[in-house]
Amino acid sequence: MQMNQTNYFNELERDVLSAMKKPNMSYWAALGFSASLLLMWALCWGYQIKEGLYVTGINNPVGWGIYLTNFVFWVGIAHSGTLISAVLYLFRAKFRNSFNRTAEAMTIIAIMVAGLFPIIHLGRMWKFYWLLPYPNQRLLWVNFRSPLVWDVFAVSTYFIVSLVFFYVGLVPDLAIVKRHVKGIRQRVYSILSLGWTGSLRQWVHYNKLYMFLAAFATPLVISVHSVVSWDFAMSITPGWHTTIFAPYFVAGAIFSGTAMVLTLVIPMRKILSLEKYITVDKFEGIAKVLLFTSLIVTYAYIVEFGIASYSDNIYELSIFKYRMVGDYRVIYWIMICCNSLIPMTLFVKKLRRNLVYLFILSIFVNIGMWSERFNIIISSLSHEYMPYAWGLYRPSFIEIGIFVGSFGMFFTFFLIFLKLLPVLAMSEIKEEAE
Amino acid sequence: MSQTFAFENKQDFLDKLTQLVKSGVSAKQISLNTPYHVHEVEHILRIKPSAMRFFAAIGALSGTVAGYAFTIFTVFHWPIITSGKPLISVPPYTIIAFALTILFGALISFSGFLILSRLPSMKGITATEEHENRFVIVIDNEDKS
Repeated sequence: MQMNQTNYFNELERDVLSAMKKPNMSYWAALGFSASLLLMWALCWGYQIKEGLYVTGINNPVGWGIYLTNFVFWVGIAHSGTLISAVLYLFRAKFRNSFNRTAEAMTIIAIMVAGLFPIIHLGRMWKFYWLLPYPNQRLLWVNFRSPLVWDVFAVSTYFIVSLVFFYVGLVPDLAIVKRHVKGIRQRVYSILSLGWTGSLRQWVHYNKLYMFLAAFATPLVISVHSVVSWDFAMSITPGWHTTIFAPYFVAGAIFSGTAMVLTLVIPMRKILSLEKYITVDKFEGIAKVLLFTSLIVTYAYIVEFGIASYSDNIYELSIFKYRMVGDYRVIYWIMICCNSLIPMTLFVKKLRRNLVYLFILSIFVNIGMWSERFNIIISSLSHEYMPYAWGLYRPSFIEIGIFVGSFGMFFTFFLIFLKLLPVLAMSEIKEEAE
Repeated sequence: MSQTFAFENKQDFLDKLTQLVKSGVSAKQISLNTPYHVHEVEHILRIKPSAMRFFAAIGALSGTVAGYAFTIFTVFHWPIITSGKPLISVPPYTIIAFALTILFGALISFSGFLILSRLPSMKGITATEEHENRFVIVIDNEDKS
């Protein structure tokens, strides 16, 4: 590498930045499809705002339908961005360089999508700002003992810190993009790169900042989904009120987020011809993270059931039996198959290195993790204490439209990211290549 | 009057830098531009540790204090006992304080980086000269005394 360093760097820049060139027809087709889903999302939400929450399937006893399922699912997806960027950076895991930019972008987009769901869930969504602590004419403050307020702080902190981390990582690369574009784009990228020149002073402080941001973001990986889990665990609803929820949710979030990274990066690598930089070895590293978190999640499923059995609490035991053989049993067994059984195949090295297999597996895990959130929320609420208060929940077309539309929003923003910003952290790959 | 040395690979750049320092060129006269952070340079030029750690510490500490102070202020501003819990409920307020520790720590660290690195830089934004992927040493020979 020593002899041809500059040539390699030039080639790297050319390959990565070619992804930002004029889009082809397949890109427009993908963007058109995801944007149409986004439009469906907007129409469904608009209709719900006009008509009220009666157009959903939410009612007694299930007051938290798939909107809250989606919130937890998308916050979970957002998690691996920080894991791959911050945690793996601190552990000096070299395979992170091929995924961190995509994972960070995915984090930002997923939090934006997630943050909308509690607002969508509100009957009068235009009052959402009441969740924020601000001086007001009612002289009242928010209740800081409420897990919902913790959520506001945890998720918004996560969004802001992730955004700063994402932007800081981009600064040297934006200066590279500036060199390769002309006209108004050059001016825009010049401003966005803050006038970065790669001087010693800049690199020394940059390096420290990056390390501090990684150190700040790492506890966030643990705290944000712990706080989300406490939305449930702080209540006395059977199936929710358990101390295992925080680590269980954190592991699940990393599991689902890692799967989504694979779902995004495997096709992206092929379409943008980045095989040289995102190698199969690096995918194997991610596959190991997926397998490891699958084992933790599976362990949590077993322990959760064990706690209920050992507690001798009929309500706890009843809800776990209900999940397995009750009205939502199909969702439960999908969850077990997708999250616990199918990922075990990753013990086979050949499968860990087979990208088609990894892509299909990642889809299964996404389905499994969404099912897990559905299973936790819906089954517990529909089968609480008193049999006369039990009831079933079926999502309406509006809810399904908003759920499917959220994927449209996610992929639309992701496709826009592909064309506006470099998809690989070029400066870090250069450093790794030395 | 300045002298510029540009290199295609890191090792030649480091060799030249070591040679310059040994020949008596002071670190203050040397400006470097590299395509990525070359850690060895800090050792060769005996660069002082970055002051970023102070910004990080002040940010984190101010976030912790703000988190507790704000939550405690609000309950005394309008005291309502909810769920029979004490007004100053330390465990839930710790969650807010924790979030603000991270938030303030990250934001103030970022501000510190901008100050220490002198960014945004108009000179850098409007610069036309590019070192591209070369490792560059510029020696400033001007007597500034």
